[in-house]
Amino acid sequence: MPTLSEQAAAAEAAHTLVELCSGVLPVWARHLAASRAQSETAVSEMMQAFAALSPHLQSAQLQSQQITAALSPVDGTVIGLEQACAQALAPLRAYPDLPADGAAAIDAALALVRDAVHAIEQINRPFSHETEAVAAQVERMYIGFQYQDRISQMIALLESDMARLQDAVAGRAPDTPELQAWLAHLEDQYAMAEQRNNHHGGADSGADADNETTFF
Amino acid sequence: MAKTILVVDDSASLRQVVKMALTGAGYNVLEAGDGQAALALLDGRTINMVVCDVNMPIMNGIEFVKAAKQLPAYKFLPILMLTTESQEEKKEQGKAAGAKAWMVKPFAPTQLVNAVSKLCT
Repeated sequence: MPTLSEQAAAAEAAHTLVELCSGVLPVWARHLAASRAQSETAVSEMMQAFAALSPHLQSAQLQSQQITAALSPVDGTVIGLEQACAQALAPLRAYPDLPADGAAAIDAALALVRDAVHAIEQINRPFSHETEAVAAQVERMYIGFQYQDRISQMIALLESDMARLQDAVAGRAPDTPELQAWLAHLEDQYAMAEQRNNHHGGADSGADADNETTFF
Repeated sequence: MAKTILVVDDSASLRQVVKMALTGAGYNVLEAGDGQAALALLDGRTINMVVCDVNMPIMNGIEFVKAAKQLPAYKFLPILMLTTESQEEKKEQGKAAGAKAWMVKPFAPTQLVNAVSKLCT
C-alpha cells in the first residue's frame, strides 16, 4: 500500500501531467493545422501552375503526332514519304523513251526528297521521344499531387484525435477513456491500409499497392 | 458532343487532378465538394457519369450513391468510387449502394480515363 505521502506525490504528478497535456496539445494541434493548410496551399499553387502549362504540353505532343502522321503515308515512319515518292515516280522513271535529262531530273528530285526526309526524321525522332518522355513525367506528376490528399487525411485524423484527447484531459469527455477502447476507436477511423499498418508499428509500406480498378 | 462527368471530392486539389485528367481526354467536368452539393447538381441536367470520393463531410460517397439511385432520371447513372479506401468491406458497401467501379488513390490519369471511357457509354 502506498503511503499518504506517496499518494499525494502521485496525485501531484498526475495533475502536472494533465496541465502539461492541456497546454501542449493545443499547440501541437495548431502546428498540425498550419502544416496541413500550407501543404494544401502549396499543392494548389503547383496545380494551378501545372494547369496553365498542361495545354502547351498536350499541344506539343499533338504536334509531334501530327508531324509523324503527315510524313508517314506508307509505313508509319517519316522514311515512308521517300518510298512513296519513289513508287509514284517509278512508272515515269521506267518509261523507255524517257530522255536522259528527264531521268536525271527525277533522280535528282528523289535525292532531294530523300535528303529532306532524312533531315526531318532526324529532327522529329528526338522531338517525338521528348514529348513521350514529357507525357510519362506528367503522368507521374499527376500521381505525385495526390499524395497531398493522403497527407491531409492523415493529419486531419490526428487533429481530431488530439482534440478528443484534450477533452479527455480537461474532463470534458463523457466517459473515462480506456487505452484499448481509445485505440480501437482511432483505428476505426482509418481509410488507408498504411494507416492501419502504421497504427500497429508495421514497416512503412507507403501508398496502397491496390492500383487495379475493380468493376462491379 | 463532349460527355459531362461530375467529380465529387472534398479535396480541391484532388478535384483539380481529376479535372485535368478528364478535360485532357475531352470530357466536360462539373465539380462538387461533398455528396449533398453533388445531389444538388442532379437537377435534370445531363450528366453522363460521376467520379466520387467516399470519405467526405456532410454527405459521404456511399450515402450519395444511394441517394442518386433514388432519383428516377439518374437511376442508371454510372458512378466510379475514387478513394483512398482499399478495404474489401468498403468496396462491398459501394457495390451494394449501386456504384459501378472502385479505384484506389493515387491513380494514374490513363487508368482513370480508361475506366471512365469504359463506363461512360
